[in-house]
Amino acid sequence: MVNLPVRLGSPAVAAPAGVPPVAPSRPLVEIEDLDFSYGVTPALKDITLGIEPRKVTALIGPSGCGKSTLLRCLNRMNDLIEGARITAGSIRIHGVDINQRDVDVIELRKRVGMVFQKSNPFPKSIRENIAYGLRLQGLRDRARLDEIVERSLRGAALWEEVKDRLGESALGLSGGQQQRLCIARTIAVEPEIILMDEPCSALDPVATAKIEELIQELRARYSIVIVTHNMQQAARCSDQTAFFYLGRLVEHAPTRDIFTNPANPQTEAYVSGRFG
Amino acid sequence: MPAPAHPFVSRSGGARRLEPVVFGISRAAAYLILVCGAAVFLDIVVKGGATVFQTRAPFVNVAFLSEAPESLYVFEWEGRQMRLGDREYRAFKQAHPAAAAVPAESYVYSSGGIFPCIVGTLLLVVGSMSIALFLGVCAAIYLNEYARDGRFIRCVRLAIINLAGVPSIVFGLFGFGMFVIFFGWNVSLLAGWFTLAFMVLPVVITASEEALKAVPIGFRVGSLALGATKWQTIWRNVLPYALPGILTSSILGIARVAGETAPIMFTAAYVVRDQLPWQVERAMDGLFEGVMALPYHIYVVSSKIPQNEFTERVQYGTAFVFLALVALIATTSIVLRNRLRARYKW
Amino acid sequence: MTEPSPTSQPPDPAVFPVHKRRLRLLGLTVEDCIQAFFGGNAVISVVVLGLITFFLVREGAGFLGQNRGNLSIYRLAGLEYVDHLRRQAEDHTALTRYLSDLRLRSLNALTGPGGMELEAANARLAAFDAFASGFEDAADPLRGLVSELSEVAAAIKTRHLVIEDKKEERRQLLAERKLEEAAAVVIPEIDFAAELRPIRDSLPAYRVVNRDLAARLGTLLAALPRLAAPEFQPRVDRFIALARDFLAGFPAIERDLEAWDHTRPVSAGEAFPAFVFGRDWLTASFWQDWYGIVPLLTGSFLVALVALCLAVPLGVGAAVYVNQVASAREQRLIKPGIEFISAFPSVVLGFFGIAVLGQALRALSQQPWLAWMPGFPYSERLNILTAGCLLALIAVPTIFTLAEDALNNVPRALKEASLALGASRLQTTVRIVLPASLSGIISAVLLGLGRVIGETMVVLLCAGNRIAIPDFSQGLGFIVEPVHTMTGIIAQEMGEVVRGSIHYRALFMVGLVLFVLSLSINYSAQHIVRRYRLPSS
Repeated sequence: MVNLPVRLGSPAVAAPAGVPPVAPSRPLVEIEDLDFSYGVTPALKDITLGIEPRKVTALIGPSGCGKSTLLRCLNRMNDLIEGARITAGSIRIHGVDINQRDVDVIELRKRVGMVFQKSNPFPKSIRENIAYGLRLQGLRDRARLDEIVERSLRGAALWEEVKDRLGESALGLSGGQQQRLCIARTIAVEPEIILMDEPCSALDPVATAKIEELIQELRARYSIVIVTHNMQQAARCSDQTAFFYLGRLVEHAPTRDIFTNPANPQTEAYVSGRFG
Repeated sequence: MPAPAHPFVSRSGGARRLEPVVFGISRAAAYLILVCGAAVFLDIVVKGGATVFQTRAPFVNVAFLSEAPESLYVFEWEGRQMRLGDREYRAFKQAHPAAAAVPAESYVYSSGGIFPCIVGTLLLVVGSMSIALFLGVCAAIYLNEYARDGRFIRCVRLAIINLAGVPSIVFGLFGFGMFVIFFGWNVSLLAGWFTLAFMVLPVVITASEEALKAVPIGFRVGSLALGATKWQTIWRNVLPYALPGILTSSILGIARVAGETAPIMFTAAYVVRDQLPWQVERAMDGLFEGVMALPYHIYVVSSKIPQNEFTERVQYGTAFVFLALVALIATTSIVLRNRLRARYKW
Repeated sequence: MTEPSPTSQPPDPAVFPVHKRRLRLLGLTVEDCIQAFFGGNAVISVVVLGLITFFLVREGAGFLGQNRGNLSIYRLAGLEYVDHLRRQAEDHTALTRYLSDLRLRSLNALTGPGGMELEAANARLAAFDAFASGFEDAADPLRGLVSELSEVAAAIKTRHLVIEDKKEERRQLLAERKLEEAAAVVIPEIDFAAELRPIRDSLPAYRVVNRDLAARLGTLLAALPRLAAPEFQPRVDRFIALARDFLAGFPAIERDLEAWDHTRPVSAGEAFPAFVFGRDWLTASFWQDWYGIVPLLTGSFLVALVALCLAVPLGVGAAVYVNQVASAREQRLIKPGIEFISAFPSVVLGFFGIAVLGQALRALSQQPWLAWMPGFPYSERLNILTAGCLLALIAVPTIFTLAEDALNNVPRALKEASLALGASRLQTTVRIVLPASLSGIISAVLLGLGRVIGETMVVLLCAGNRIAIPDFSQGLGFIVEPVHTMTGIIAQEMGEVVRGSIHYRALFMVGLVLFVLSLSINYSAQHIVRRYRLPSS
């Protein structure tokens, strides 16, 4: 039984410390020979990438290199964009090809949560923002809701700041708090993977530091994929880094290697700030 | 005269002198429009207010607002000019048999009140707006949330734009041909509802689409990323925030529905009907009976009876009540919008 | 427990349960059904547009056939023949009217300030009066003939209509399968050739009448008495010319009558032009009904023209002011104010026209200092001008709002670039902003036109409802003549016609014309906007 992948990210069963990686030979997310295009414009070409469970994987690269596109492929948010489609290759999570016809995109998105570049709290109270995803699944029990709200807010390191004003509008929070609220909202539905699309790009340094701290805490329980423009951020909080350039994956390696000893000259040029 | 100290001194020239003249004329145009509008409005309010309000308590002419129209009889009696409504006149003749021989001028609709018209107009507005809002909001949801650009959608949009330009009388003919004759509903409330609803449909669709567009895209992707279905997203996270906008912009539609006469002339309006819409044997029968309506009543009393001091009361009074009703509907919608706005703010 | 190798392990649904497990109806998920439901609502606009077309055509299409029947009986029953004579008599009457007008003018001139007494003036005109009455009496035999033949023709038509009714009765009985009763309905045949004999046989008599008339008028004209006032001589000359034209037309009428043939069929192609180009809209007439849309179309367009002449300068001027000049405070006053006007119900405006504006304008027109205006003073208080003024008030908010939008859409950069080059505000407005927003303004005007053409209650109440093409001979004076409009005629007559009758169908045809007209106006407005749209910045 032990070698069956543990259902990660389930707060009810907090992953005990020191659980070994599921199966080193088999990453959680396997992206294979992926080609993706918007209409006739290709955006991603020939991407092969494995994402390890319970690690932070950073996707870096200059603007327009396709890193956000790849991120949005992982929970099929690209379905919403007209003409956007995968032209070749596959993405498998736990061995399940998520683009197969019989995969329900709604169920997929419950398992693969997403935090956006611009914080987008709903114009509801803080409590209702967190409860939104649970209510969608039909959870009505008030006590249970409150419990999950508290746990999620604690999980997002926001509880202490907002516990006295759960009923107030989420729009009254500061930018950094709003973004953490969005993270709390995401973990409330107990996903396994959290996708973050430049979550700190609109925040000041103090708020950014808090989010980065939070990411460090979350990695114990969730697999995190983060797109960032900020190389220091990638260096600070990720375990693995993938560098993209012009729609291609240039290099994928442990973060330390990418920043200290990149294999590819383009990677080196980018991380040393010579372009991008 | 000392020479200018710097080169930026104002210089006068033909163009410079022309500018205030041209802008003055355009300003005059703007205010002339307002003055014309105000003149019409004040004329109706001042003369109509004399009918609807009175100096004694309760300050409102309750009879005018709560009674059905009657004929007015004007005759000389013992040196005085008597003006009596139909029922009063009959009672008077019974009390004074000699009065029957006195020649009396009669003016239809000029006595009594306009209660059935108010009721009819309210019913028409509420019914047709419910239909139009339902159809219009659903159509707007499709256009804004589901539709992908294509020939079909372009076709739908073209239809909406063109529907907005169809004259109201043509809607009247259409409603007559389809509901009154083809469906056999006769002149009825139901036929009026659908005719008016189809007429305001483009207004409601356009307004609802604007309101839906104003809801930030982040609300949708945020909700979808939490595993909501499209419908859950729309129902819980888009519609509530679009609602204030939808209601506000539908004011335009409501004002238009309430104000139109031509579409209901042959589909829903009776010149006169003694029973109120709910005074029927079975509840459903009310839907298949026509109603009296304020705009049609104004048409009738302004074109079918002479203009004189005896008829002016009901003519101006009806016009005033009608204007006030339209204003009231609009105000209600605005208040409603402000309430909802305060609740859903982003 | 044997442990399978992770790589060969098939995807375990329990681990990553993302497979579909949704309810399906006929292969559609609930979501699909919801989408289809909304899509269905979106189609309603298309459907309604289609239904409008369908029902207008459905109810109106029978018109062409019925009008053909209407025109056929006009010919078969000899009404057409009689109308040739009637027209001649009417032309003659027009000439006598000209004479009496001339007499009135002369009398006014004679009795004017410093002139003579009424009796003396009448005595002065005695010779002229003798001429005029001689001229009038000359046509008496012609009129006698016309009324005689009219009766014959009307009788034939009546009999024909009775027979048509019987046929209809039998058709209904057959439809109800009452065969015996249907067979019992006797339908007499009319031998039109025989019935028309009295009319045709009158041709020699007509020739005599005609020759007499020509001779008498010729004699009278030769001895036309001179009018005292020389300033009327041009009018007299004009009368002589008109009278000679009238006389010259006699042989043509005789030829027409000879060539007239009641059996010549009315082709299907004649019914439609009779509607589109017909200059008469005459219904419920004892003689012959005509359904020609020209007077109504003219009425609609004239009223719209007057309305736009007022509304376009006002609306566009106000839009320019609000957009380019006004302070924010003024904008907050003017914009809602004009929008408020757009909420005025049209029937209230119509009532205002009847109750106040009609009289006010008439009183204004009778002011001596305004006598230079075309058509002033006038006496009909409900006319094109009254309706046009009120329609302008309806069109102004549309034009203002859309024109203001168009001005607003001009990129700020264009305006700033012009100002930065040292142009004044006026120069910038006239040379940059207005040209850049011209397509939007034109489309605003077109939509205003659509609004005005389609407006019903104001024209019904205030345009005067006289079905006639206005007299353009007085120049701009036509604007104070009463007219009837397409929308007005539908609103007025629809309630009173028999369902399925030719009149009923004619009204639906008018509706169809109105529908097509407003669609094309609307479409061109959209087209102009799309065609000349600025590249969005």
